[in-house]
Amino acid sequence: MRAEGQKAVGRGGLGVGRVWLLALRDLRLEVRDRAGVLSALSFLAVMLFIMALALGPEEGALRRAAPGVLWVALAFLATLLSTRAFALEVEDATLDDLLLTPGGKEWVYFGKLLFQMLLLFPLSAFALLLSALLFHLPLGKALPLFLTLALGGLGYAGVATFYAGLLARLRGREVLLPLLLFSLVVPVVLAGVRATAGLLEGVPLAEVASWWQLLLVFDVVYLTAGALLFPVVMEG
Amino acid sequence: MLRLEAVSKRFGRDWVLRDVSLSLGRGEVLALLGPNGSGKTTLLRLMAGLLKPTRGRVVREGRALFLANPPPFHRHLTAKEHLLYDLAFHGGRGDWRGALARYGLPEDLPLAAFSSGMKKRLALARLELLSPDLWLLDEPETALDQEGRELLLRALDGARARGGVVFATHDRALAEAVADRVLWLGAA
Repeated sequence: MRAEGQKAVGRGGLGVGRVWLLALRDLRLEVRDRAGVLSALSFLAVMLFIMALALGPEEGALRRAAPGVLWVALAFLATLLSTRAFALEVEDATLDDLLLTPGGKEWVYFGKLLFQMLLLFPLSAFALLLSALLFHLPLGKALPLFLTLALGGLGYAGVATFYAGLLARLRGREVLLPLLLFSLVVPVVLAGVRATAGLLEGVPLAEVASWWQLLLVFDVVYLTAGALLFPVVMEG
Repeated sequence: MLRLEAVSKRFGRDWVLRDVSLSLGRGEVLALLGPNGSGKTTLLRLMAGLLKPTRGRVVREGRALFLANPPPFHRHLTAKEHLLYDLAFHGGRGDWRGALARYGLPEDLPLAAFSSGMKKRLALARLELLSPDLWLLDEPETALDQEGRELLLRALDGARARGGVVFATHDRALAEAVADRVLWLGAA
């Protein structure tokens, strides 16, 4: 802890050091609180299990539905995590302190985003493994599949972080967040589903790569816009 | 180091503050007195930059930090962890261990186990470590015992030497003992 803190201070306490430190601090808070990670894990498992029960037991039907089900689960999961990222500050009323740190507020945006990615990546891998088990998916292309989930998850979380910050102080934010979010992230989910379906159907990687490029473009656009607009919307 | 020019603030249809103008020089301490709902906290938050005025202008020199009442802390962190993270986020260096010792606080106890008075002491230790130019304090005396109150007076002396202080209080004796000027806020 001391080494972590001093390293960031040694770098002037700015930029990448602060982003990492905020993400690791939030991860520490989340692990100690336990409620967030456990609810995300159980939500993921229950949702995939119910969908498998509802769509099964025919293997072909399960495989065809799997990409859509997986992405719906990840979309809800990413939404839940973005709410958690700011709930950590709202519950303890510490958001103002964070916003009074010197310099721009972009680092808060990237720190909160990184925190979500640190949870979303392993949870995506878990969702992929569980889906393979429940939906009879071949895992021969596990790495490209994970890359698809990671690229899509990053873009999704980029928008979700922005909106979660914007709504952090409002009552009813849990209702408003999905309403605002889903209209903007439809392209990410669509591209993600198409890439996942392509990989599961054995489409050549060269063809799937066009969906990855599209996801990458969305990631760059959403993260840039999020970082630029976040400081503006966080001002009182 | 702080100037408010005809600052007004409205929440919805309700005006909380109307045309407040004041200035605070280096080494000055200003106390805000007034009944509940008179806008003391809103005024402090405007001074800190946490709120934007509906009308008027706030001009600040240097770095300001705001101490809310009750002071906000992450309950799952220890005092030591909190201070180290704060120092890192603010890009500062300081003797956090000495600060905790001065304020009589344990290093490794989760803040969920801290009393209100201990949290207030930790908030003062935090401000001392981060050493802003302008201290903005909302009812800093609340929940402090006699020893804590003496620590507060000492901290305010230090803050005055480093920059300036504005604090809101219901304690008229404290305001008169510490402040160079008192601003009375009535109902808006």
